Amino acid sequence: MWKSIIFKEWLKVRWYLIGATLLLGVFVSYIFINVKHDITFQDANNLWYLILFKKYQFFGLIKYLPLLVGIGIAAAQYVPEIVSKRVKLSFHLPVNENKMLLMMLGFGNLSLLICFSIVFSIFISLSNCFFAYEIVNEAIITIIPWLLGGIAAYSLVGLIVMEPIWMYKIFYLVVTSMFIPLYYERGITGAYKPVNLTLAIITLLISVSLLFSAYRFRKGEM
Amino acid sequence: MEKISRYILVLVAILTFSIFLPDFYWKLFEKPNRSPFVLYSCIDKDFIIQQGRNRYDNKGNKLTRKEWEEKLPLLNMRQLMIYGLFPDSINGCIMDPHEIGLNKSFFRFKPKDMNTPQAHLFPLFESESGRVKIEMPQDFFRITKRMEFVDAKTNSVIKNKSRMFTAVLQKRGFAFPAKLIAGIPTTRKSCDEGYIVTDSKDQLFHIKMVKGHPYIQKVKVPKGLKFKYIACVDFRDKKYYCYLFSQKNEIYILTQDEYDLIKFPIKDFQPKKEELRIFGDLFNYNVIRLGENYTQVVALDKEYKKVAEYNKTWLSRAERKEGKVFSYIFPAQISMFNKYSDYINFYYAKTKGFNWIILNLLLVFGHFLILKRRKVIFKNHLIDFSIILITGIYGFLAVNLFQNKFFK
Repeated sequence: MWKSIIFKEWLKVRWYLIGATLLLGVFVSYIFINVKHDITFQDANNLWYLILFKKYQFFGLIKYLPLLVGIGIAAAQYVPEIVSKRVKLSFHLPVNENKMLLMMLGFGNLSLLICFSIVFSIFISLSNCFFAYEIVNEAIITIIPWLLGGIAAYSLVGLIVMEPIWMYKIFYLVVTSMFIPLYYERGITGAYKPVNLTLAIITLLISVSLLFSAYRFRKGEM
Repeated sequence: MEKISRYILVLVAILTFSIFLPDFYWKLFEKPNRSPFVLYSCIDKDFIIQQGRNRYDNKGNKLTRKEWEEKLPLLNMRQLMIYGLFPDSINGCIMDPHEIGLNKSFFRFKPKDMNTPQAHLFPLFESESGRVKIEMPQDFFRITKRMEFVDAKTNSVIKNKSRMFTAVLQKRGFAFPAKLIAGIPTTRKSCDEGYIVTDSKDQLFHIKMVKGHPYIQKVKVPKGLKFKYIACVDFRDKKYYCYLFSQKNEIYILTQDEYDLIKFPIKDFQPKKEELRIFGDLFNYNVIRLGENYTQVVALDKEYKKVAEYNKTWLSRAERKEGKVFSYIFPAQISMFNKYSDYINFYYAKTKGFNWIILNLLLVFGHFLILKRRKVIFKNHLIDFSIILITGIYGFLAVNLFQNKFFK
């Protein structure tokens, strides 16, 4: 049974997930093509100087991509479920409803984590080739909230999609559109250092938010 | 499980509202409050105050713009020269524009300079290259277990140079790693004086590179004196290398070549919350401390002795009308940004007093009326009532947005 549910989730998101990973990969590659170009044309020491003292973010290009990926995977996974209320079919399976929803959530979050981990590992490896670890560390601190923002957006978009009442959908959208920017504030490189752990905990907590609107959906809240 | 997910969403909504609603409020109603610009006049031997477009002397006499400029001739030299009013001599000292320029200095420190992600790699410039222009080196140094130079092109440690500098530092008694590294890491300066560094035992060192070789000077520091921030300066008079703020909130300077530490007669400077501006001229230093609702200006002579002091306070934002109204609406505020720090965080600020409790109680009652219309069992909503009582408007919006409808 569980295998079939996982397979169903995989069928829904597979092309999107592969596409998103490739897209992120292309952007990360482009970042380092840019770095190579800058080093060739203005010398590595000048680029290092800009990064260290002018807080130039050589990786800034990917800022909102994790957010788009998170929203996209949530849409790919949950929109088909509410079309003609298909998710109600799943609720009729002899499986605990919440367990099944948690399985869906777990699958989505894991997909995102795998996608982000692959791209993030490539980013760190390539950064280590060009820059000292002090620069790479600051870059990691800066990118982490962007990735967390993608995961939080996945959870909250799932919540919005599954909410049965349009008025509440709009309310949730308003809260989401005020909350998600907290991950993308315009700070200098490394500014998120004291708050990254708190953001990670909040992101982990809201990963179960879908259960609330799914409950309202299956109880036929109108 | 659904209930837990609801409370998580309520928490997220409270967090979001407590960031955005106060922010909207302040953007709509906050009025600017300019702090006075106060300087010591070498003519009056007293302070001259500028508040917006109004200018006064310290006795409260209103001054015209021209009178203000005449009382601060060293600040307004060029303007007075155009008027033909610049004096030939002041206090028996003949006015030489070159000498005036040489003694002019301005230093500004903001709490954000200290609370910011600090760089851990620095360029060590050649101090005596024999060239007019300072050139950016190809490598950057770090001081961790040893002093390492990393070549930016190859991203690898330059072994010989690292070994040479580490050996000299060890010989001078440097205890690795470094705690503070302060310098002027730019080529846009009159000359290079390297870096002022404190080690893990709070000893003070001056490190620079002269003709490719290390120049390392250990500075004699009084016992128990520890520094928490160092700001290097590049003034034309070349009297000192840097300002140093001690752990005991004192301000020091480190004189050039003699390496004497001189303490400014300024008490309890709070670098985490106060801005510092130091205007230097031919006769005086004006040390200006600027807090949220106060300023202190201390005039020093050229021997760094206190000549006069000016203090002024004004109403803080919380004490003004808009702040008082705020205290009736919002029990607290969270901000992602802080004017004292470059770091992003959830900065929590509780509203002073308990005026907000009135609105919180009204909102509890309002929620009671809403629930009464829905004909629910009240004991199932006690947590929601508590949330509203504590978090006020934020909680009221949150619990009504993510409604407690599990018990129908």
